[in-house]
Amino acid sequence: MNCRNIQERLVDYLTGDDDPVARNEIQEHVGSCAACREELETMTLAWTKLGVLPEQKPGPALRTRFYTMLETYKGRMDEEAAGTERRGRVRLADRFAAWWPKTPAPQMALSALFLAAGVMAGILLTPGPGRSVAIARLEAEVRDMRQQVSLSLLDRASPSDRLSGLSAASQVRDPNPRTLEALFKALNEDSNTNVRLAAVDALYLFRDNARVREGLVGSLTRQTSPLVQIALINLLADIKETRAAEALKSLIADRELRPEVRQKAEWGLLKLI
Amino acid sequence: MAPHDDSLIMTGVREGEVEKLAILFERHHLPLYNFFLRLTGNGAASEDLVQDVFVRILKYRSTYQAQSPFAVWMYQIARNAHIDFLRKRRDKDTVPLDDQWAEAASHEPQPGEALETQRDRALIRKALDSLPENKREILFLSRFQNLKYRDIAKLQGCSEGAVKTIVHRALKDLGRAYAALQEGVTS
Repeated sequence: MNCRNIQERLVDYLTGDDDPVARNEIQEHVGSCAACREELETMTLAWTKLGVLPEQKPGPALRTRFYTMLETYKGRMDEEAAGTERRGRVRLADRFAAWWPKTPAPQMALSALFLAAGVMAGILLTPGPGRSVAIARLEAEVRDMRQQVSLSLLDRASPSDRLSGLSAASQVRDPNPRTLEALFKALNEDSNTNVRLAAVDALYLFRDNARVREGLVGSLTRQTSPLVQIALINLLADIKETRAAEALKSLIADRELRPEVRQKAEWGLLKLI
Repeated sequence: MAPHDDSLIMTGVREGEVEKLAILFERHHLPLYNFFLRLTGNGAASEDLVQDVFVRILKYRSTYQAQSPFAVWMYQIARNAHIDFLRKRRDKDTVPLDDQWAEAASHEPQPGEALETQRDRALIRKALDSLPENKREILFLSRFQNLKYRDIAKLQGCSEGAVKTIVHRALKDLGRAYAALQEGVTS
């Protein structure tokens, strides 16, 4: 076999896609041909070094965005099926109307949020004494409003509203106990899997809070959806919450557990111990 | 997971069970994110691209052919999304983003990670920058995305032999570029 034939097969040799006979032929050839040996060594170096590039994880917002998009799409499909939505292009006003809450409490909260944001923008654009104090006060008010909006949305019947509520809660830097309670309620009691998954992502952002860590451990054995179980195991392993080890052991011991969840739980346990 | 299983799920999505797309998202978003991250070098852009791919999957779900593996179809969409991303980036005349990736990674060393591994990563990233876009893409599809050469050939609209030739040349060029950079560091 000549050098050209050998070189055509080096990629298969490297990826292990060839048969033992072909491998032997290549090995014999490169043993006696310096040019092909050098070529194989250069390619092997590149193939091996590519392996040092680590797998990275996207931020939790990606999952929230995906599920919000999916819920919106599904909601639109359902509406179309029910014949309640006009066909054709959706005007900007229609989009705004679809997004704007339908009940008075969230409407008021959102209006107040916009008002506070407007006042804040005004102050920012107007220099003068006492500006920084006023800004700090308004910032605190906006934070509080955001939590109120989040709570209102989390309490609504539509899963896509509840997903928006979780998205709003993710913007809060320091959530108050009521917001945390609502997030755990979404994680542990919501009937929609997508909402529960988004709650895992939202709670991940507050992983430094001891109460949140404790709640996440407690939630693991309450979950029944494999997707949520896997997401929680990933999270607990990621934050190295060693108190989750017992919950993982109970999961593994459960005979009814889905094999993919068991595999993930065993992986998680290894990460924690 | 079995590719056949993915195809069944996607067929369900095509037929209107769109909530099943969540299963495909959970299975594929991480490798897809890393595919884009290796190509763009930017985490935020890669997240946008993953989202874009799943939006397109929903938009074009009626065009999915059950006999075609889902991953091949998904990476075809991913390629298109990436081409559009590059076009927009060129239009905006923004700077390449690879440095941000290298910087982010170098700021977050894993505990116990050897200095040599970190140096290796920086060198291989730099060496990858010297490859043309198409070669890098095919190399990543073959090395990281678990696609067979015949699948990549379908994606690229060329023969399996042509894909192998590109991978061969890409590895040779990459190996040489890496060795040259390594020599520069050690000399």
